Amino acid sequence: MQFHQLLVTARPGDAITNAALELRKLLRRVGPSDIYAKNIHPELERDVHPMRAFVRRRSATPRDDVLLFHSSIGDPEVHSVVMGQPERLVLVYHNISPAEAFLDYDPGFAGMLEGGRRELAAMATRATMAIAVSDFNARELIDLRYHDVRVSPLIVDIAGRLTTTPDRKLSEELERGVGPLVLFVGQVLPHKRPDFLLQAFHLLSSFDRPDARLVIAGNLGLVRYAHCVMQLGRELSLDRLLFTGAITDSQLVALYRRADLFVTASEHEGFCVPLLEAMAFGVPIVARACAAVPDTVRDAGVVLPADGGPALMAEAMAEVAGDDGLAAALSARGRARVAAFEPERAKASFLTHLMEAV
Amino acid sequence: MYDARPVADDSEEAPVESPPEGDAEAAVPDVDALIERLRANVAERRAKGHYPPGLEAELDDHFRRIVAHRADAPFDMTLLRKHLAGVASTSHFGRHRIAMSTDIPGGDRLHRAVGKVVSRQVDGILQQVQEFATEVRGLLEALVAVVEDPGNHQHPGLVSQIDAVLDRLAAYERSPLDSEVAVRDLRARTEALEDAERRRQFQPTYGNERFEDKFRGPRDDVIERYRDLASLFRDCAPVVDIGCGRAEFLELLGQVPVEAWGVEIDPALVKAGLDAGLDVRLGDALSELAGASDDSLGGIALMQVIEHLTAQEVVDLVALAAAKVRRGGKVIIETVNPQSLYVYAHAFYLDPTHGTPVHPAYLKFLFEEHGFHEVELRWRSPVPDGDLLEVPPGASDVEADNARRINELVFAPQDYAVIATR
Repeated sequence: MQFHQLLVTARPGDAITNAALELRKLLRRVGPSDIYAKNIHPELERDVHPMRAFVRRRSATPRDDVLLFHSSIGDPEVHSVVMGQPERLVLVYHNISPAEAFLDYDPGFAGMLEGGRRELAAMATRATMAIAVSDFNARELIDLRYHDVRVSPLIVDIAGRLTTTPDRKLSEELERGVGPLVLFVGQVLPHKRPDFLLQAFHLLSSFDRPDARLVIAGNLGLVRYAHCVMQLGRELSLDRLLFTGAITDSQLVALYRRADLFVTASEHEGFCVPLLEAMAFGVPIVARACAAVPDTVRDAGVVLPADGGPALMAEAMAEVAGDDGLAAALSARGRARVAAFEPERAKASFLTHLMEAV
Repeated sequence: MYDARPVADDSEEAPVESPPEGDAEAAVPDVDALIERLRANVAERRAKGHYPPGLEAELDDHFRRIVAHRADAPFDMTLLRKHLAGVASTSHFGRHRIAMSTDIPGGDRLHRAVGKVVSRQVDGILQQVQEFATEVRGLLEALVAVVEDPGNHQHPGLVSQIDAVLDRLAAYERSPLDSEVAVRDLRARTEALEDAERRRQFQPTYGNERFEDKFRGPRDDVIERYRDLASLFRDCAPVVDIGCGRAEFLELLGQVPVEAWGVEIDPALVKAGLDAGLDVRLGDALSELAGASDDSLGGIALMQVIEHLTAQEVVDLVALAAAKVRRGGKVIIETVNPQSLYVYAHAFYLDPTHGTPVHPAYLKFLFEEHGFHEVELRWRSPVPDGDLLEVPPGASDVEADNARRINELVFAPQDYAVIATR
């Protein structure tokens, strides 16, 4: 019996690719196991095989093998492979971003997301089992009539993050600045609502903390949207705002180590790895109760109601930034919450579920 | 089936590592209660106007406008001129530009022969095309000139965006409580309130002179009543008589004689005083004293005036008197005696402009506090003998004592004077 994984895209630093690599270590204890993808970043060519190699591969008993498909976006070509192969299918669901958020900026991409949702529905009857990385994702699969839905948290190598040496140059630069450092980590994409975050930061710095700094750390995912968000920053005169663009792991760690506050206004997350990282680094969290965010954070952060506006978020930021006792208490709760996502436990959970499928 | 057995995703079962700041864990407030408090803070800021009205909606609109107006990439305007030059260089049509050569053997000759045959038609068509091309070229040149001149550009979206920015700017100018605009506004509102308060003050339909004639008694009687107090101002020039009314006391001061002038708030009484040849000026007690130089006065008189002032004005008055009266000078204040209950049945409420009577002990205390070295109290205007309780003949000692005590409490002198020497 073999377990193979299939992704649409494999790229370094991507949470799903990282989870697949971690999972492969685990699956290789059971038998032969490889990762296949349609799009492969050159850095990963030695780790990940092209999808066509999976189709051509020869297995004595393909019907005994298991194909784990990581679903996070649509792709007709990948979908037809998944549907046409004889292996048993286990769907690993990371969630698909809502298409409507992208309509104004990249209709083509919005179409891919919409297609992804249709493909997800079509796979319900084909899948032997579905493993969701959060309760929120599981609820979505149940709505799509998946018949065996399990929840197992994403496998995140949090120890690796904690032991990464922070980038010295960036650390020094951050240390030179004054005022509370507010950090957001994630791609600049519409459903993550960096525009909302900027509005809240505008209120924070206009009415409460003119000394606050905001760092938006992540790829400028969608250039047209990112330009609009940056333009908003300029028009609101947010001179203490920094967009890092793509950064290295050590730069990311430097930010987590210095941050006073982790804030996200995101309206759609299947799991949200940065929340887990912030908790691990003891950075207090202010977020909104959207999608999987409350599942991931629970009571280890200030999770504001989804209908609260930027003013409420600004108020929460000012409160946490101005109350050392509250910040320390939230930080302690976050560190305790991280234990629930300990990767060995996550792997054991995943394997337990998977074994029940075979 | 939904298997709700989250093996690892259950913090209650998870072996929680001891957090580095375990003692802080206990101090975590209820997050729900915290969020409720934050909501209340936001509502309060809105109510107090710290957040301009519609602030969040405007921020949302702001971003939407950016999204709506943002072009993917600005057009390179220099391309217009480049293409225009291209049009100019290719819009001269002629038969000579039609190639006649060919690879087919003998083809060149054939082409030339055909060309000759249809030359008339070709020239005719070329002429029409040339005319059209000249028109189009002229039109393109005009269009490029129009596009290049910013004066010809209309951007309703941009204009509305600028309007929105100005609107928001105005809101901020109005909003912060410490801004110059807000302070000016606040001052204007205070002045309006003070103005309203002045208007609210008592404005009788009768003249004060008529009131005084009726209730203070004939002028000559009043003059006789105050002669003793006036004589105390001998060697105290100059004396200011505040609230001089019909100027009886001022007249007495003239008889002492001592240099003196009067201050009166009622213009009709001021006019009456001036008509009688006396120095009476229009003004109120506090402004008059505040305007005088320190140590410049020898005496201040306030006859039946202090009971019209507020508690603060009384304090301010004594403080000003201490500053303006030179050492050895005198302040004499005569007012109703609140220790006599008879006063309330007779004189005090007769005047609707009376405020609170001032207790003699308090007034004495005030002067002493302000450094007047000698403060004397004199009881004045005894109750007419006929109004006092009589001790019936044959009454016991106790009854006689009771009558005396009631007389002291109810029928104490109606006025008192404070004579304070600086």
